[in-house]
Amino acid sequence: MLDPRTKLFLILAINSLVLTAPLPFCLMLMLIPAALLITKRQFSFVVGFIVSYVISGILFYYVKEHDIGIVGAVSMAPLYLMYRMMPIGILLYYIFTTTTIGEFLSAMERMHISKKISIPLAVMFRFFPTVFDEAKSIGHAMRMRGISIFCLRAWKDPISLLEYRLIPLLVSITKISDELSIASMTRGLSPTAKRTYISAVGFHVQDVLIIAYTVAVWILYLLRDRLPWEFFA
Amino acid sequence: MNISLQNVSFSYTDDMEKAVLRDLNLEIHSGECVVLAGESGCGKTTLSKLLNGLIPHYNHGNLQGKVLLGDRETKDMSLAEISTVVGSVFQNPRSQFFNINTTEELAFGCENRAIPPAEIRERMDRVIQDFHLESLVDRNIFHLSGGEKQRIACASVAATEPEIFVLDEPSANLDLYTIGELQKIIELWKAKGKTIFIVEHRLHYLRNLATRICYLKDGRIEREFTPQELESKGPAFTASLGLRCMNLNTLETEDSPAAAEKSAANNEKGEVLTFENLTFAYQKKFPVLNIPKLELPKGKITALIGLNGAGKSTLAQILCGLQGSFKQKRAAKKLGTYLIMQDVNHQLFTESVLDEVLLSMEEENEDQAFEILKSLNLGDYKDEHPLSLSGGQKQRVAIASGVACERDVIVFDEPTSGLDYKQMLAVSKILKDLAAKGKTVFIITHDPELILESCEHIIQLDHGKILDAFPLSGNRKKLLQLMLRTH
Repeated sequence: MLDPRTKLFLILAINSLVLTAPLPFCLMLMLIPAALLITKRQFSFVVGFIVSYVISGILFYYVKEHDIGIVGAVSMAPLYLMYRMMPIGILLYYIFTTTTIGEFLSAMERMHISKKISIPLAVMFRFFPTVFDEAKSIGHAMRMRGISIFCLRAWKDPISLLEYRLIPLLVSITKISDELSIASMTRGLSPTAKRTYISAVGFHVQDVLIIAYTVAVWILYLLRDRLPWEFFA
Repeated sequence: MNISLQNVSFSYTDDMEKAVLRDLNLEIHSGECVVLAGESGCGKTTLSKLLNGLIPHYNHGNLQGKVLLGDRETKDMSLAEISTVVGSVFQNPRSQFFNINTTEELAFGCENRAIPPAEIRERMDRVIQDFHLESLVDRNIFHLSGGEKQRIACASVAATEPEIFVLDEPSANLDLYTIGELQKIIELWKAKGKTIFIVEHRLHYLRNLATRICYLKDGRIEREFTPQELESKGPAFTASLGLRCMNLNTLETEDSPAAAEKSAANNEKGEVLTFENLTFAYQKKFPVLNIPKLELPKGKITALIGLNGAGKSTLAQILCGLQGSFKQKRAAKKLGTYLIMQDVNHQLFTESVLDEVLLSMEEENEDQAFEILKSLNLGDYKDEHPLSLSGGQKQRVAIASGVACERDVIVFDEPTSGLDYKQMLAVSKILKDLAAKGKTVFIITHDPELILESCEHIIQLDHGKILDAFPLSGNRKKLLQLMLRTH
């Protein structure tokens, strides 16, 4: 498996390119999380993700180059966001589903990052899945009451729809964060004490390959104007 | 290690008038297993928090008196130091994990103690064997059932080998079989000479384990019993203290004459509601649920029993149209089903209790909404914020919203987990009232006392299939045997 430090490097690399680079470069970078997710047998997710990304990219360029009136003006911003943010999305999805909290803490310690920073970051790994889980239950409860975006009430008063969804979520989030801190403190997690790790973190062949590939894409990007192929420019 | 509480008073606010604990004294000797019982809200959890150091280090308030672990006061130790001697297991299995992966969770406490990795692995192998966790290694905790989570929680605490174990209602979400497993775990700790402190009102599984049972009332330890003493006083006495029974075998297994009279009518099923094709699978090869036909007697209370992980909650979700195919969802809508979730916080959205009921109505009608609230004893609370109410009141608000939707079938997911005897009776009364109004009530439960108190029919679920269905009258003994059955 990948070292968490490689994953951090990937975040930095993709972030640095994704806002400026043209579509082919983003696709080349997206290949990494896509390939990694395929090794986890998540075929349908990867295919769906890449297809919708390519469509949004093509649509974005189409809207940008052609004047199609108000529809174009309205759809431009969401298309741009999708096109620029989705590569980060798939990478984060991969990282959140495959990194364990122990691996993450261990890697941070190897990088000599203070526990005062690494522990709160580690909590996020636990926090987000819990919040999604809660949000799902709340969505269930709303559907059972017949409250959805398709019902009459929602159209009369759209703000209340948001409120019904958010208030129970906020209440449970405060409760969860409280319980999580109790769970960690009664188990002796402390920013000052020394800690050992059972997960063996280290660089392997796959890390080297992926970093080399990413650096190659970077160099290609920097040299894009001097390349013979029109395509990358 | 000895635990000693000397003249302890505690209040969550500065105002000592509202103190939760008042001038409390308790000595626990090394190797003892002390059970703290009492009605809900009497300060049991507060006392357990004093022992594991969460008071005064996490929950601040006004603390007087001394809490000693061995010869050191808890307020002079840091939480990390206290955690090396005290291991805590909490009531809610959902949030007592720091990790997502079970293996890492088992190692977590040891890692924090800077124990060398080789030794951590040795200890993990040992607890995996002791607690029979082979099938739960390296799993995602979001995919485990409540009982499985509670076993992991106990095991990960045991791996750190503390001197003192503090457990806060560990059995609240467990079926009787898993409670038996928990009992074995506690036996193991006791045999190793650990000091154990358990907050609990389900006492039956502790009758051979506890060295004494302390009864907490109004912030003081009012009485102390040995388990034998308490058992000999009979079930009526424990019930009068608000506690659950000491021995499941002493539960009433004979039908009362009135019930026997009714049973003739009951045995003829009368009208039934039929649900068809209740099947569900996350992956085609492994069906979670496979029920071609489910019949619920109309206007009666039916209990669904089965072990943790038998597919009970999935069945409830499909009945209520929250999972499953489009066809199943449409069937649920047609029959009018409504689920009262285990965590009712998820289903309360609005700013006042009255709004909550109005929201459910097709045509808002305040008089009718108020009538519904009054029938559930919520008339006085109609302007309160639902989330400011107590657990039982919230549950009733959720029921009111279901009634206002004019749903005919109301499904309850574990309505009495963690409730004391009086609260359990209150829930059972509400169930009976609903049935008397012609609603069909379907309860998922692990609580034999609730079933004996209120239900008329039993359905047993096992590995996603209906194993048995029978009326309760005449079958009370059979029910207890089924629920106590080991694998």
